[in-house]
Amino acid sequence: MTGTSTTVVPKPRPPIEAAAPAGELPMVTQPALPFFEIETLRAEQFIPNAKEALGSMIAEQAQDKLIRPVFNWAGRNSLFPLHWGLACCAIEFAAAFGARWDAERFGVVPRSSPRQCDLLIVNGTVTWKVAHKLITLYEQMPEPKWVIAMGNCATGGGPFRTAYSVVPGVDKLVPVDVYIAGCPPRPEALLDGILLLERLIQERRE
Amino acid sequence: MEASARLFQRDLMGKLSKRFPTGFLGLDPFPGTFGRIRFDPAIALELFREIRDVHAFEHLAMVAGIDWVERREVLYTVWSDVHRGYLLLSAMLPAERPHIETATTVWPSANWHERETWELVDITFDHHPDLRNLLLPTGYQFHPLLRSFKLHEPEELEVKVRHV
Ligand code: SF4
Repeated sequence: MTGTSTTVVPKPRPPIEAAAPAGELPMVTQPALPFFEIETLRAEQFIPNAKEALGSMIAEQAQDKLIRPVFNWAGRNSLFPLHWGLACCAIEFAAAFGARWDAERFGVVPRSSPRQCDLLIVNGTVTWKVAHKLITLYEQMPEPKWVIAMGNCATGGGPFRTAYSVVPGVDKLVPVDVYIAGCPPRPEALLDGILLLERLIQERRE
Repeated sequence: MEASARLFQRDLMGKLSKRFPTGFLGLDPFPGTFGRIRFDPAIALELFREIRDVHAFEHLAMVAGIDWVERREVLYTVWSDVHRGYLLLSAMLPAERPHIETATTVWPSANWHERETWELVDITFDHHPDLRNLLLPTGYQFHPLLRSFKLHEPEELEVKVRHV
């Protein structure tokens, strides 16, 4: 609001056109194009087959916005881990599904066949001898699938890291989504890991 | 030790030294067992047969290998339901290329024990029907219970996971 050296001179306004006489609508010279058509026309100058590409893009967005959350919601509330115990951590795994901690209230039910599972909880020491069985089990599970490395052994070899027969971390074999520390982790920690995985699944976009 | 067990031990020693005048090297007392027989690996198969058929030690409980750096020892633990007791059979093998006749033809339970002994302490069992890795992955390049084996950092240990 202080004084400035330049002064702004307002331009003279164009004269206001005479309004259409009452009772007569203004003439529409071109039919209005819907948004999709305009975008297609504009894009086709640069990209061949822009119409299909745009259509699939919009369909994908719709899938992301509408269908994906429903799938994620269903998936995260019915995680089926593989019923597979490897070492001492499997005892805590069993306790987590027992009456006291009752992981089934989160919809987590261990299944005995990898074909019915979407979650692999690696609960214990993985030796090199059993490594290819683990990979086979992982590959037998249908997509989408997740992996939880439970305990120090599965995370990084744990107390057996430099031993001659132990895989130093199961992420050398399969992609891991959630790591749970502890030797062994308590059942609460396992439940916490599962809930964290559920949050990750809810945000999944792919 | 009970008097009957001592009697049995003396009886066994007499019979074995008569049957194997050169290969049988002695019977030492060993706590909790009838004793430890030391024998020459050359007579292994006949000794096993004799121990099982004549002296009724019909169950092989364990095969162990010990690395004494300049020699290597193989140790069989056998159990008799008749005498209700253990007997140890031990043979000293040379450190370079240690090998002994397999016991699978006498006690079939030796099969997996010998596979384990072979992969961990590198004692070869001749004429074994199926001498391959038991606890370690196929193609493992070390014998990890030897004293010359060094612990590795995990990155140094190159293990190929065979995908079956
Ligand atoms: S992390 Fe600890 S409790 Fe779990 S399998 Fe390894 S040694 Fe056992």
